[in-house]
Amino acid sequence: MEHVLEFGRVLPAGDSLTTPARTAALAETIRAVAAGDEEAFARLYAGYSRMVHAILLGRVPRRDVDDLVQDVFISAYTRIRELRDPAAFGGWIATIARNRATDYLRRWREQVELPDELPGGDPIEAETFALLEIVRKLPDAYRETLLMRLVEGMSGNEIAERSGLTPASVRVNLHRGMKLLRERWADQGRPQRT
Amino acid sequence: MTMKDDDYLWDPTAAPDPDIERIEKMLGQLRSTATAPPRITATVRLKADTTGILAALDDSGRPSTYVGIRFLLPALAAAAAIVLMVGLTWRNAAPASTSAEATAGKASWQVAVIVGTPRVDASVLVGEGRIAIGQTLTTDAGSRAKMEVSDIGQVTIDESTRVRLADTRDGHHRLALDRGTLHAVITAPPGQFVVNTPSATATDLGCIYSLHVDEDGSGMLSVEAGWVAFEERGRESFVPAGASSRTDRVNGPGTPRYDDTEPAFRDALDDIDNGRDPSHKAASLRFVLEHARGRDAMTLWHLIPRVSAQDRTAVVDALAARVPMPVAVTRDAVLRLDRAALDQWWDALGLDEASWWRKWKRPVVAR
Repeated sequence: MEHVLEFGRVLPAGDSLTTPARTAALAETIRAVAAGDEEAFARLYAGYSRMVHAILLGRVPRRDVDDLVQDVFISAYTRIRELRDPAAFGGWIATIARNRATDYLRRWREQVELPDELPGGDPIEAETFALLEIVRKLPDAYRETLLMRLVEGMSGNEIAERSGLTPASVRVNLHRGMKLLRERWADQGRPQRT
Repeated sequence: MTMKDDDYLWDPTAAPDPDIERIEKMLGQLRSTATAPPRITATVRLKADTTGILAALDDSGRPSTYVGIRFLLPALAAAAAIVLMVGLTWRNAAPASTSAEATAGKASWQVAVIVGTPRVDASVLVGEGRIAIGQTLTTDAGSRAKMEVSDIGQVTIDESTRVRLADTRDGHHRLALDRGTLHAVITAPPGQFVVNTPSATATDLGCIYSLHVDEDGSGMLSVEAGWVAFEERGRESFVPAGASSRTDRVNGPGTPRYDDTEPAFRDALDDIDNGRDPSHKAASLRFVLEHARGRDAMTLWHLIPRVSAQDRTAVVDALAARVPMPVAVTRDAVLRLDRAALDQWWDALGLDEASWWRKWKRPVVAR
């Protein structure tokens, strides 16, 4: 059986987050973070930063996403003692990320009209930003799942483990989200497979 | 597409679907480049939640069902909070920090939080810290900070700003403002404090001013007291108190104008500086020349080298109508953009309070 190193423990690969070994490893890590263990905090960051990045990228301008990822983990660190069920960590930090994005957008809109993404001077092509804009307009569940898969390179199993969604839900979100993405991409005159 | 076609979508190690692979390749460019977690370098306060994780987990990681210990939780939580408040320091492999070892041996400035969670490089700034040469202070939409510019002044960093300390040594201090807004209060002799932006360099001439940079690198300088020189690729603007100057990524510093001018006047100047339609620009120039007040001679003086030779005569005439050309200055010399002639006419503008900065600027003008 293939194994992976996760939260400091060697675990069977591909199992869902609900396995006792995974839950215990995560709980141990969270308890260590609450006690001030910096390495445990780094493990949490390594395990969940891609999911947080994907959630934020679906909502706020890319230039500020990395900054906000850091903010989300700071917030999670300072509030981690509020978390009562370690198995819920993924959903909990995802909620922090969504709230942080909402707060960011509210503050910006109070000040100025939020500018569009600016491809100029950036090595990333305008077509990529156009594709991102389409993903951003998809329903939340599809958008976040697709960004975790297509931007962050996470597998379906990883997405389920990190987000707390069931593998079946992730599979449906990926399937329906990709179908919508292809349709809307084609509507803009972009090539698609026939 | 059926669910059966989704093997690659579910598992990136499966046989690639070319269509998804192409989309993945495009969107993969947006992947995060940050690999290190945030660093907390000063005292960090964890919330003392009496129903929190420390007490609520049993050894297996499941929520505890033993409630008896909850009677002790207030005391335990208070004790834990005191221990944690003594000071937790996160350390990892990130290359820079506000910690003593990162700034040791390097010139640095004191930085302090005004509100929120500003960062110095990847380190979270809590309370006060130091920023060394090469390090970047970043504020998000909910953060502000202030910097002590050695012993010559203070800079306040507004929300959503990114600024790097480029240099600091005796008589020379330089920031690089990538985006956002800073407010500077400098009491040093002219020329000691400089801020680089993507489209212009602001040199403090002893004053109070604000500088903003947009996402596209353009920006706005507004001076509250004293003077600021705004310069890029030989194009200069000298901005006095009560005036502002835009700067454009392509064209550099714009023509300075007093803040009490009419919006239409300012719009016309922006069009002269950055407009593309020649007929529209010509109309804007006529508008400015007709509506310039006496004190707008400062603006007209700046326009002389910025307009075409064909339009320059009209600008010179407009300036002469408001501030007579000095006897020692010839019209031909001004039209040739003779620096000494322009300099003498500037002296005649009546901006006597600027004499101290002209002493600083003269060697540069004479080059």
